[in-house]
Amino acid sequence: MELQILANGIVLGALYACIAVGFSLVWGVLNVINMLHGSFIILGGYITFFAWARLGIHPIAMIPVAGMILYGLGYMVQRGVINKVVTQPVLITLTLTFGLDMILYNFMNVVFTATPQRVTLELGSFDIGGIFMPWDRIVSMLLAFALTGLLYWVMRTSRVGRAIVAVRMDRDAAALMGIRVDQIYAITFGIGAFMAGAAGAVFAVVFPVTTNLSGLYIGKAFVVCVIGGLGSVPGALVGGIVLGVIESFAGHWLGPQHAITVGFVLMLILLITRPSGLLGKKGYE
Amino acid sequence: MAEPLIKLSGLTSGYGDVQVLWGIDLEVREGEIACIVGSNGAGKTTLLRTISGLVHATGGSIIYDGNDILRAQPDVVVGQGIAHVPEARRLFRGLSVRDNILLGAYLRDDRQEILADLELIYNLFPILKEREKQDASTLSGGEQQMCAFGRGIISRPRLLMIDEFSLGLAPQAVERLSEALIEINKTGITMLLVEQDVITAFEVAHYAFVIETGRVTLNGSTKELSDNPMIRQAYMGI
Repeated sequence: MELQILANGIVLGALYACIAVGFSLVWGVLNVINMLHGSFIILGGYITFFAWARLGIHPIAMIPVAGMILYGLGYMVQRGVINKVVTQPVLITLTLTFGLDMILYNFMNVVFTATPQRVTLELGSFDIGGIFMPWDRIVSMLLAFALTGLLYWVMRTSRVGRAIVAVRMDRDAAALMGIRVDQIYAITFGIGAFMAGAAGAVFAVVFPVTTNLSGLYIGKAFVVCVIGGLGSVPGALVGGIVLGVIESFAGHWLGPQHAITVGFVLMLILLITRPSGLLGKKGYE
Repeated sequence: MAEPLIKLSGLTSGYGDVQVLWGIDLEVREGEIACIVGSNGAGKTTLLRTISGLVHATGGSIIYDGNDILRAQPDVVVGQGIAHVPEARRLFRGLSVRDNILLGAYLRDDRQEILADLELIYNLFPILKEREKQDASTLSGGEQQMCAFGRGIISRPRLLMIDEFSLGLAPQAVERLSEALIEINKTGITMLLVEQDVITAFEVAHYAFVIETGRVTLNGSTKELSDNPMIRQAYMGI
């Protein structure tokens, strides 16, 4: 039984990590709390759902597509709007992204309606050593890990990844290297949105697509960032899995209605005892 | 005489409502090491930051290699061949020594040549090669300054601007770095140093500008100025 709960928690945790990495990157590098992140995930989900329902495109094939569409949207939002106030205190940018989120959220409500949609793949399920698991969950977990790994690899090895790290450390010194800080901000925000869009495509397979979940997603992203530490891919991964496993056990022992409460209590405890998160010392990747 | 590599005329600049530079006239000839000396708050750092494009000039002109770069963004300035080693080194914490240096080559795309230049830098400062995989923030002050020099010269600048390289370092380290600067200059890189430590600056530089409250009050060859009783008394404590 405990193994089953653990397995459920890890699957959930992988999805949480996938939600949080992009959010964490933007927060860590730009010092912008992107309230749009939840709606970006939902938008990625809708893109995937409609491509599947209307055009018959497999959701997995839609992961890069949804990611790229959201990248473009994110890049433009940063370039055209957020860059104007990016150096202002965090409350200003928070209010801005909150306002933008209201526009996007309500736009989706009007255009797509709030009725939950669902991609059903009917992949069946399997059972090993008493652990029961539907295949679609396993596939989405693996995809979530793959996306998280992809971001880590890009940040570690690419020229743009190094520039992002440099801008995060010291924007003036980065500018003196010839790095265009405003452009790096836009790319970083775009990458955050890419991860949201791709996560939305992954989630469309296991969760219903509905704007109602936007707030829940961003709440999870928040908690994972606080647990794992800001701006670091390993931090988001650890934070996601810790949260997933804890919620899973809490749901079993205390009842599912308390699982979310436990997650937020954990966040509060960490904020008091270890505000930089479990891995938040030098995880700048 | 040949055209100067960089020539500032009537340069004014500052932060918001606070004007710091009140009309700076200054020029550096190709191949020369020039230094700017002056007390705290005189505007030396602001001057370099204005040339780099980190601070926006409010008036005057900056003619570099025949072009006016007064309103150029930092990436354009670097691209034109001006490298700026900032005060307090400002290395990227959490990145290795090697990655820090390579970030200086951000605008270059000739990978083979970059790696060759990296070897040249390691030859100049062998300790950096030993520590290339270490986090740059774990180096000693002098080693960090070497790393910052390396990060500056790997962009292949024609003009290297260095802000307060001697600040907070042991005399032996300053000595070592001064020698390195002379070496670097011999490879054909023109330099503009900003220094509070006038004795060190005059040992390295050929020409000096004295800045007081945002204006150049004196200039001349370092030889000439080190005999000037006013300078000796005010800045060299002799």
